[in-house]
Parts: sequence; C-alpha cells; structure tokens
Amino acid sequence: MVIAALASFAVLLIAWIVAPDRQREPVTVESVSPETSPVAA
Amino acid sequence: MAEVNAGDTAWILTSAALVMLMTPGLALFYGGLVRRKNVLSTIMHSFFILGLVSVTWVLWGYTLAFGPDTGLGIIGGLDWLALESVTGEPSDVYATTVPHLAFMAFQMMFAIITPALITGAFAERKRFKAFVLFAVAWSTFVYAPIAHWVWSPDGWLFGLGVLDFAGGTVVHLSSGVAALVAALFIGRRTGLIEPATEPHDVPMTVLGAGLLWFGWFGFNAGSALGANGLAANAFVTTNTAAAMAAITWVTISWLHKGAPSVLGAAIGAVAGLVAITPAAGFVTPAASVLIGLGVGAVCYGAAHLRLRARVDDALDVFAVHGVGGAFGAIATGVFATAAVGGADGLLGGNAGQVGLQVLGVAAVGLYSAVATAAILFLINLFVPIRVAGPEEETGLDLAQHGEVAYQV
Repeated sequence: MVIAALASFAVLLIAWIVAPDRQREPVTVESVSPETSPVAA
Repeated sequence: MAEVNAGDTAWILTSAALVMLMTPGLALFYGGLVRRKNVLSTIMHSFFILGLVSVTWVLWGYTLAFGPDTGLGIIGGLDWLALESVTGEPSDVYATTVPHLAFMAFQMMFAIITPALITGAFAERKRFKAFVLFAVAWSTFVYAPIAHWVWSPDGWLFGLGVLDFAGGTVVHLSSGVAALVAALFIGRRTGLIEPATEPHDVPMTVLGAGLLWFGWFGFNAGSALGANGLAANAFVTTNTAAAMAAITWVTISWLHKGAPSVLGAAIGAVAGLVAITPAAGFVTPAASVLIGLGVGAVCYGAAHLRLRARVDDALDVFAVHGVGGAFGAIATGVFATAAVGGADGLLGGNAGQVGLQVLGVAAVGLYSAVATAAILFLINLFVPIRVAGPEEETGLDLAQHGEVAYQV
C-alpha cells in the first residue's frame, strides 16, 4: 500500500513536468443580469 | 503508553483546523496586495500548496521531520513513511496525551503554510510549473530537516537548548530567508514604475490578515499541545503582540507618511504574530507588549530598507517573516521566564539563552539560504523559473491559468 501511494504521487509529479506550459485563451463568463441574480431575488 | 485525553485531543484537532484556515487566509492577504492581473495566480500558489504538501507530508514529510532520528540530529528516518505505525494511539515522544495522528495533522498544517509564505516573494512572475517543483523540493529538503533540528527531541538545535515554541525559526525565519533568496534569484518584476505596486484590493488583504490572526490562535496556543494553562498563556501573548504591533505600525506610518495606513494595520498585525510565535509559550503577557512594540518598529524599518535596496521581494516576506522571525527568536532569549514555559532568558539571569537563540537564527537562516538557492538553481536548469516577458505583461492569471479574476 505504501508503494502504491508513493507511486500515485510520482505519476502526478511526472504529469506536472510534462504538462503544457503555454498561454491559453481566457474563459468566457457570462454576466448575470439583475433580474436573475440571487441578490435581486 | 499514556492514555488519550479528550480535552487535549479536541484542542489539538481544533487547532489543526485553525492553522489550516491560515493558508487560504494567506492567499487572500497576498492576493489583495498584487495587481488585479495576478490575483488568481497568487491565490493559487497558496491553495495548491494546501493540496500538495498535505500529500507529501503524509507520504514522506512527517517521517523526515519527526521520525526517529537517523543518528546525527539532522533528519528523521523513514520509519513512518506514508504514516506507517502512526496511529490513533499517542506517540511515546510527541504530545503524549493525544492520538499520534492528531499531532501529525497539527504539524502538517505548519508544513503547508511555510512554503506558501515564500510565494509572496516571487509573486507576479513565477512559472507555475517551476513553482510546483520548488514547493515539493523546498518542503522536503528545507522545511523537514529544519523542523527536525528544532522540534525533534533528537534534533541538534533542540539538544543545544534553542527555544522555538511554535515556529519562529522553523516557519518564519526559514521562509523569510528563502523568500529573499528567491527574490534575488528571479529578479525584479518588469515594468514597475515604483518598487512597490499599489495593492489591487486592500479589503481582501485586511480580510486575509483577519483570518491569519484568527488561525494563529491555533498555531501558537495549539503548540502547547494540550488544553491547559500554557495554551491560555500562548493565546493571550499572541493576541497582545499582534495588537501592539498593529497599532505601532499604524502610528509610525502616521508620523512618517502623514496618514494612518489601513494596509499598515494589517501588515503590522502579521509582524506581531510572527514575532510572538517562538515566544508565545515562554513569555508573559507583559513581555508580549514589548515584543509587539519592537517588531512593529523593526519590521516597518525593514520594509522601507527593502524598498531602498530595490530587492523585489514583492510582498515583503523577508521584512515581515524573516526579520520578524529572527527578532522574535532573539526576544525569546531575552524575555523567557521559567514561570511560564520552564526556561529563563536574559532577564531571568540566563544570558546564555540569547546566544543560543542567535545560533539558532544563524543556523536556520544560513541553511535555508543555501538550500533554497541550490533548489532554485537546479530547477531553473530544466524549467525556467520565470515566465517570459509577454506573459508577465499579460498577467499570470491569463498567461499561466487561462482565467481572469474580474470580468469588469
């Protein structure tokens, strides 16, 4: 179990090393209209 | 083997949760201080470390820091790898009235926040991938050994008699010095007109400081490792030093710059909390007033000297945690009284304690500086520590994370 736990972290570590490192497009977030806002409600 | 005490266990588990909250608090504290294009990346540093070090601590951090010594007082062995043999029964060595797992969890929260403190130095320009590798390496090769030196009964600084109640050297000095090294290594932010940028959200920073102050009761009073009078003393000295340092910083900034700074109140409180950390269980409430006063003035001066030195420790981690941690460690050697924590300092007739505290500061500071520089150098060989110029100009939120904090 200890070996499996260490190995699972090692997999993540490798993933961080090979993960892409580049600029992405911004995520579009739609604005909430006052009528549907929880605050307005 | 001692029996589990319900009151002590409840307090330690509660304290662990309080200290856990400090890391999101730190994220807000730092997040408010940076420019709006970097707020998410700054928050992410602390939040990711909360996950990252939680795992590494369980797997190998705890055994390296607190495991049975390997022989020289430098590092723990691998006996407790992945918490093997760490159970719901009390340890024979640490906090013998609470489950060993509770003590481990409490210490885990310290291990989490310490590398998170460093992130303020390289805010707004560090590549996330390099940051992740740095956090793993630093918590393994810097935090764990230093914690062993100071807090393991077999640690060499512990054996010499160096006092550190809750982490003035282990947490704050080590991270503060590492922050200075990181700031020098990574270089100044580009495009800065003034050495310090305007914080984008002061209320966020004040909220973060409030959460830090709240969580610090677990940090310091929890370090009594029991629900007892020592915890109450640490609670009171912690609050008093934070309060005194906050009002001192505000007063100095008022006289110096003509206005009582809100930001100064927040940073001053944190400086007071840092300085009382090594002393909280060794000094009286009256002494904590003096420690708060002293650190408020000293850290205010350090922050302004840093500006003149043009070192871009973006969020003044060294001035607050490095200088404040060293100040508190040495003040512990001055003000410690046996009636509180069983050890006397200079004012109790034990002048040698000051020398021991200075030795502890020097050893921890030097090791942290050298090891941090080595880690940064090695990582930079494979993954550039710093983002490219256009990414820095765009802001790390978008360039590194593909998200933005505010749509307006």
